[in-house]
Amino acid sequence: MKEFFENKYFQIGLRVILGIIFIYASVGKLFRAEDFAKAILRYEFLPIYFVNIMAIIMPWVEFFTGTLLILGIFKKATSIIAMGSLVAFIIALSSAFARGLDISCGCFSLEETSSKGDIIYRIIQDIFMLIGAIIVFMFSEKKKIQEPESTEVIN
Amino acid sequence: MKTGKQIIIILAISILAGLSANAINPKGVSLILDKNKYAPADTTKQKQIPDGFVNDPYDTATKKTNKNMLGYEGKKNREGFIEPENITVELAKNLFDRNALFIDARVKEEYDSSHVKNAINFPYEEFRNKGYNEKVEIMKRYNKDGIIVVYCKGDKCEMSIDLAYEIAKLGFNSVNIYKGGLKEWKAKGFPTQP
Repeated sequence: MKEFFENKYFQIGLRVILGIIFIYASVGKLFRAEDFAKAILRYEFLPIYFVNIMAIIMPWVEFFTGTLLILGIFKKATSIIAMGSLVAFIIALSSAFARGLDISCGCFSLEETSSKGDIIYRIIQDIFMLIGAIIVFMFSEKKKIQEPESTEVIN
Repeated sequence: MKTGKQIIIILAISILAGLSANAINPKGVSLILDKNKYAPADTTKQKQIPDGFVNDPYDTATKKTNKNMLGYEGKKNREGFIEPENITVELAKNLFDRNALFIDARVKEEYDSSHVKNAINFPYEEFRNKGYNEKVEIMKRYNKDGIIVVYCKGDKCEMSIDLAYEIAKLGFNSVNIYKGGLKEWKAKGFPTQP
């Protein structure tokens, strides 16, 4: 199993899929902070002072994380950011679902309308993405076998 | 480079890009959300309505002042318009009885199925996408000093807030947001149609 996860092509495929989803989720929000702020506001989750800041910055975090995942740059760092973001999304969605909020997810499109069933679907989707990000984090760089330190024989 | 440093670099670039994009975006937002805009109606700060007051939404002959028909002088904000106020269901009903102009911000299909009696319909998305002159043209038949109440489906619906701000920016003195919306209005058994 470990060897499969460490497989170069599996890793590339996983990073590209994750990257594309992250970029796809971000592009509709990059220049629409006002609408995204309202989507965040509906969750009644963040303190009101952080809503706009989050709406301004979060889509760009998603965009750069997705791009770097695809390019395979800073693999560990991008997978950590992806994991952090996904955990936050899962908590926010679960909290909204538990409170029975009738909200649009705001995950991919700011126009979409969603039902409670749709929120469950998004949570499951995020859990799968989180597993993917964990696999990238754990297996993207094979551990180098430590070479024994050279010992010089002093005559 | 250590992972921690890489994370900081990515986040720093994202913050910089986000702030720059927001700064050059004509529809950019302030860094901190206007707390009052989305807060619930403050029951302690509701307008007093003089006895016998009756609103006339179509009296465009009224001279444009900063005073609305109730005689209140609104304070303009930094953007140069008088900000809409959040009103309670009691005040909304009181204003309804005084012939205030009720505007439904929902889409036409929702409006057609049921709305506050005599309310007119300006679907927010359609209104927002119109040019300034077109908005002025639409609104010129209404009294700028008159009392306007904007609502939508209920308290999770921001369309009423956004539409109210759009109208206030056109120079209307007394735009009110009834956040309880049609849901609360119906629950109270107040008049609707059809």
